[in-house]
Amino acid sequence: MTPYLVVLAVGLGSYAFRVSMLVVAARSTSGLPPVVERAARHAVPVSFAALATSAVADSGGNGSLVPLLAVGAAVVAVRRTGSPHAALLVGLPVVWLVSAVLP
Amino acid sequence: MLALDRRDGDVTRGARAMAPWLVGVVPFGLVIGITAAHADIPAAAGWLTGPLIFAGSAQVATIQLLAGGGAAIAVVAAALAINLRLVLYSATMAPHWRSLPRRTQALAAYTLVDPTLAVGVRAYDSSADPAVGHRHYLGAAVTLWLAWVAAITVGLTVGSALPRALHLELVIPLFLAGEVVPRVTNRASARAVTVAIALAIVGRWVPLHLGTFVAIAGGIAVAVVTEREAP
Repeated sequence: MTPYLVVLAVGLGSYAFRVSMLVVAARSTSGLPPVVERAARHAVPVSFAALATSAVADSGGNGSLVPLLAVGAAVVAVRRTGSPHAALLVGLPVVWLVSAVLP
Repeated sequence: MLALDRRDGDVTRGARAMAPWLVGVVPFGLVIGITAAHADIPAAAGWLTGPLIFAGSAQVATIQLLAGGGAAIAVVAAALAINLRLVLYSATMAPHWRSLPRRTQALAAYTLVDPTLAVGVRAYDSSADPAVGHRHYLGAAVTLWLAWVAAITVGLTVGSALPRALHLELVIPLFLAGEVVPRVTNRASARAVTVAIALAIVGRWVPLHLGTFVAIAGGIAVAVVTEREAP
């Protein structure tokens, strides 16, 4: 499957999610099963964590500590400030600094 | 004439209500564009994630997994797992849109995502006239769509000209990490994220690049089970 077809499939699937309850709503008022609600609530943090870990593992595949140190610094910065933007504001300079210092 | 002005005013107010969201959304769009420019996929495919998927996190997953050589079915499954929340958003807007023609509902649903849900619900809740909410939603949704696609386009254009020494491949993992931290608000979410991280590390050895999807499914399963067991 080409990248274009994958993007199209994700787009169509996402659109189906978007219209799903509009279609169902006319017939039912009982809402979604609780298990689906719980799954949807956790989908974003869990997915982001898995994706970030995979990306860091791939970036550090050659033994480089740069991505690990940068993400570590980013997590600390976000925890301290409460702002997600701190991750990039702190993480990227750490990447450049450590890359310049380490061989 | 007066009624027309009032209608235009509702649309403009919707657009203005979207403005604070753009502070976070536009940089995200730029990051996606830059990532698509550096990823090992056709630039046009990366750009198309904007208008076709129109949901940043799923776009990131699609671009990242495609660039990593992930199997098509795994990429689609992972991206759709992320977008599962759109079913809940659809359920939230359904009562407000029930009176609209089906074709209008279908168009409105295309723009349904985190910022439009937040701005839209606020407008419907604050006005007794649903038509005001509809126009408010229209202004907000069009503003978001234009800003989102423009940001991705700029990121894609500028991103390819930036040197590799900037290590922009780390922008997305840093961004994602920043988005995870504030969302870990209880034990269930902490366990789920921990399991997802552990499975993502182990999952590097899973064939067909299914590791990330296994990590997402495992993390969500732990969250669902943990919450059910909690008193």
